[in-house]
Amino acid sequence: MSLALDRATSAAAPATSPATLQPFRTAAGGLIDRSQPLPFTFDGHAYTGVAGDTLASALLANGVRLVGRSFKYHRPRGILSAGSEEPNALVELRTGARREPNTRATVAELYEGLETASQNRWPSLRYDALSINALAAPVFAAGFYYKTFMWPASFWEKLYEPLIRRAAGLGRAAEAPDPDHYDRMHAHCDVLVIGGGPAGLAAALAAGRAGARVILVDEEATPGGRLLAERRTIGALAGTTWAGDAIGELRAMPDVRILSRTTLFGVYDHGQYGAIERVSDHVAVPEEHAPRQRYWRIAAKRAILAAGAIERPHVFGGNDRPGVMLAGAVRAYINKYGVLPGREFAVFTTSDDGWRTVADAVAAGARVVAVIDSRFEVRAGLTQAAVAAGARIMLGAQVIDTAGRPELAAITVMSDAGRTETIRCDCLAMANGWNPIVHLDSHLSRKPVWDARISAFVPGGLPGGMTAVGAAKGQFLLSDCLDGGARAGAAAAADCGFAAVSPPPYTTDPESDAHEPLWRARAGRGKAFVDFQNDVAATDIELAHREGFRAVEHLKRYTTLGMATDQGKTSNMAGLGIMAELTGQPLPQVGTTVFRPPFTPVAIGALAGHHRGQDFRATRHTPSHGWAEANGAVFVTSGQWLRAAYFPQTGETDWLETVRREVSTVRSAVGICDVSTFGKIDIQGRDAIKLIDKVCANAFASLPVGKARYAIVLREDGFVMDDGTVTRLGDTHFVMTASTANAARVMQHLEYAHQWLYPHLDVQMTSVSEQWAQFAIAGPHARDTLRRIIDPAVDISNEAFPFLAAAAITVGGGIAARLFRISFSGELAYELAVPAGYGDAAWRAILNAGASYGITPYGTEALSVMRIEKGHVATAEINGQTTARDLGLGGMMAKKKDFIGRLMKERPALIEPERPIVVGVRPVDPNDRIRAGSHFIGVDVTPGPEADEGYLTSVAFSPVLGQWIGIGLLKNGAQRHGERVRAYDPVRNGDVVVEICAPCFVDPKEEKLRV
Amino acid sequence: MSDSAPTTWQQRSGWAGVTQTGRFGRAGGDPGVRLDLLGRQALATIIVRPGEEAALDRLMQERLGVALPATGRAAFASAGSLVWSAPGQWLVMGPAASALADLPQRLAGVAAVTDQSDGRALVRVGGADARALLAKGVSIDLHPSVFAAGATAVTSVAHINIQLWQVDDAPTYVLAVPRGFAGSFWSWLTAAAAEYGYDVQQVPA
Repeated sequence: MSLALDRATSAAAPATSPATLQPFRTAAGGLIDRSQPLPFTFDGHAYTGVAGDTLASALLANGVRLVGRSFKYHRPRGILSAGSEEPNALVELRTGARREPNTRATVAELYEGLETASQNRWPSLRYDALSINALAAPVFAAGFYYKTFMWPASFWEKLYEPLIRRAAGLGRAAEAPDPDHYDRMHAHCDVLVIGGGPAGLAAALAAGRAGARVILVDEEATPGGRLLAERRTIGALAGTTWAGDAIGELRAMPDVRILSRTTLFGVYDHGQYGAIERVSDHVAVPEEHAPRQRYWRIAAKRAILAAGAIERPHVFGGNDRPGVMLAGAVRAYINKYGVLPGREFAVFTTSDDGWRTVADAVAAGARVVAVIDSRFEVRAGLTQAAVAAGARIMLGAQVIDTAGRPELAAITVMSDAGRTETIRCDCLAMANGWNPIVHLDSHLSRKPVWDARISAFVPGGLPGGMTAVGAAKGQFLLSDCLDGGARAGAAAAADCGFAAVSPPPYTTDPESDAHEPLWRARAGRGKAFVDFQNDVAATDIELAHREGFRAVEHLKRYTTLGMATDQGKTSNMAGLGIMAELTGQPLPQVGTTVFRPPFTPVAIGALAGHHRGQDFRATRHTPSHGWAEANGAVFVTSGQWLRAAYFPQTGETDWLETVRREVSTVRSAVGICDVSTFGKIDIQGRDAIKLIDKVCANAFASLPVGKARYAIVLREDGFVMDDGTVTRLGDTHFVMTASTANAARVMQHLEYAHQWLYPHLDVQMTSVSEQWAQFAIAGPHARDTLRRIIDPAVDISNEAFPFLAAAAITVGGGIAARLFRISFSGELAYELAVPAGYGDAAWRAILNAGASYGITPYGTEALSVMRIEKGHVATAEINGQTTARDLGLGGMMAKKKDFIGRLMKERPALIEPERPIVVGVRPVDPNDRIRAGSHFIGVDVTPGPEADEGYLTSVAFSPVLGQWIGIGLLKNGAQRHGERVRAYDPVRNGDVVVEICAPCFVDPKEEKLRV
Repeated sequence: MSDSAPTTWQQRSGWAGVTQTGRFGRAGGDPGVRLDLLGRQALATIIVRPGEEAALDRLMQERLGVALPATGRAAFASAGSLVWSAPGQWLVMGPAASALADLPQRLAGVAAVTDQSDGRALVRVGGADARALLAKGVSIDLHPSVFAAGATAVTSVAHINIQLWQVDDAPTYVLAVPRGFAGSFWSWLTAAAAEYGYDVQQVPA
């Protein structure tokens, strides 16, 4: 049995004592549990609500009707609605780290101990100092930002903006990190039903009974929609009972999922939908391990939009006074929550359904003093309940003003003849027709269309796979909702291949949707608000019209109509209606603005889910990571990898000192560096060498087995993509490396070349980047160190294993490994690859083996210093804008073969002699420091863009030279060695005279490399 | 320090240092999720050479007793398992570390074999909430009418590329995660599993 039904049953029990403490709680009725009192506070005052309340219904039950201050004028505001469209009752929920501003009291479920506060008021809600803004209203009219704060420009940041922010702010965000977590779920279904009102329930039942996989999404704690807010009958059942039975039947279906407390906030391409489930917002603290909210990504073959409709307020003087409410909301508070929003009701309606309010209020024990209907004639029988209640019936009349301090105490009604009179009441229910919720069907840029029958926009061309039913389609009769929903549910299931059951016809109690909209009442003295949340009044729209901002998008931006967090749910139509009257256009020609996701505000945390803090993005750890972490390495991110930047030792106080020691140790003894982050690609096949020759710009056909070679990969446009090595392990077996930054890109490039350019080649490729741990062992004692860990049978003497040799070997007693004699540091160096599972062991073994030589682990900083000392180019130079010629590698380009980028690199601009080319740089005064990014200009030249001759790409402090050195790209650089220029860096006050030299500072004859 | 090489070359699982065994998350009742960290087993990529698919199929039937699975499918046998991983490409797994040592020779001329035994960390995910847990991470449809025992997909979880396959109808899944991402993946997996309660064990492959 459903929750709704349980509550309906228990609500029939006599009222218990806690409820009697709530002066506006009815004795019986409503889907609440009067036996479960829930204490809460609002602005520090203690109140008690009951289980099933929202914050809004609990406040109303306690007679609290003033709940907030408006955005701009600080006007006192109450509760307008009973749903997610609420523009006025925005409050702060909870305290401390869980404080959440701008929450609609109408959707916040009450729980025991909930602490809430009003917003945008000082010193208190009732006596707000800034309500004086209202007296200055003419100043704050539409466009006031543009007119008032134009001049002088310098005042904007210092004076105007801070002032406006303080005066017009809403709630305060929490200042501590959010202690809760947010989850994500992916779901798939045949039929997604958006909205659990009568149409949605009927659709879900029909689709579910056919056997389709159904997801039903509903905003509220219990689906049912208007069935829970009205007193209706379906067949022989009360509407609430029917809804409870439907939910029970759906829950029993194995492939139907009901997501309650869930808002479907966005519609995306290809049948993708976004929704937020408020898993724990209705409890003080989430259950242990439960998320606060869960973001659902739903893929649906068919969607049924049953999102319902939003009632339209009336626009008249003082329509924002607390106590003036939507009629449907008044009925919801009475029927669903057992709360009377007042004692003496008046109803201002233009529609038949507004009259329902009379019978509901009377049945709950309230007085109805008047029903004002702007229509001159109404259907016979409509007035029956009002007559019986002794209410005055005023046809052809309009409410034009309100009074109260500040809560509503009286209304001013003007008859058709223009006579006004004041009527005492403390709650005014407004009924002015309903707007189908056309937001979701508009998210994919489809415009809604005007339906003259209901004077409202209805869905136009719907997104693929979506149908609209019930009130969301403009069908406001319950019987239409049920029958249309059932038909759509069956059709959607049939579209997904399920045998559809013909839906049963539903019968309901008599109903009528007759309605004649009134876009604004006749002018009264008070301000008549259109957009409550952004304080846009009817006069602002007149002003926009007078000043020429008539197009709907101009109207919106000039007045801020519909730009608040409620996106104009209750205001857009009135704004358009008034503009239509002013311009004399038919309303549909005024048009509508664009609806965008999200339908209601979504917390960023809910979208981020797990990915915050350390988990903001996934990181990769190298095989030596555990050791490095335990030994105090300082890490740097390199793409997704965490790499050790340097390894400080006790007593070292700054990074430069550590890096200097690491470099000096490598150059004088031996060091080890984890280079596992390089991309490694296993390439096999009869034609492997042919593909490599196409992808690499230098020659490879001659590469013998057992040799490694430096490799340059060009893009198709002739610029350098990456550099690395290719090693021939066997006749048809190669391993190629790519830089850490470009590993994935090079793999993609190879796949592209194979699959698209050379599909006929017999080549098999796969990434082995994660399979192999790889360590550089560099320095004069590299060979001595290595000898201690490799198996004795392996000969690595200079004669047997010279520079660029490569071999499959074994280490540690039979563990398969690969050894490459390659060097990035310019020292005698090897790279040893072992299966990653042995990476940690190999790292420790090498450190052990080199201990007697004083081995040091070194990180990316020392690696970089040594490559700059050697003039090797890296990511700073291979930046996507440089050719091989620019990098000083032009001579390596193969002449006798074709390769990707061969012709494009010869374009005139790329072989222009003036093009910047790689040079070495050192300050003339060895005490000067230079910085990467400095631009080269002539020594006696005035700095400026026209004087620019290139820039410094990389700098390092060279322990070998005892001074700063750099690599840069300089116009015509190859011919300018020995010349002096300035390294000019105005941002960091750098202006250093430097000498241009060959880009190699250490061991230019490579005597250390080949020993 | 002696000049001799160190004697212990301890092999480490990709999960070492990032996982803890035991019961975690929601307490009370049976854990909804069982996470079995699989020990190292032989795992290799097989890429068929042009026109050799029939020959490869025959050789694999001889060697493992299973046919080459079609796109999105996996086949399990005691001698080894085959999991489709890309067009013309499969993962082959053997129960022991050296189980596939003969493959490169046996498949010479027919397919390229590349050892990946150390490149991935494998975890078996079971328990009553296994499907719900995975649905938090993968955007593919895991409903039994779409993805059942013997199905595999190359997809992503928490921005990490993974491959998963379903081994039985319980349902139980195996996830293969790139070794370097094991820590980040585990952080996501355990956070996602916490609300169900989960039990972590190390098991032989």
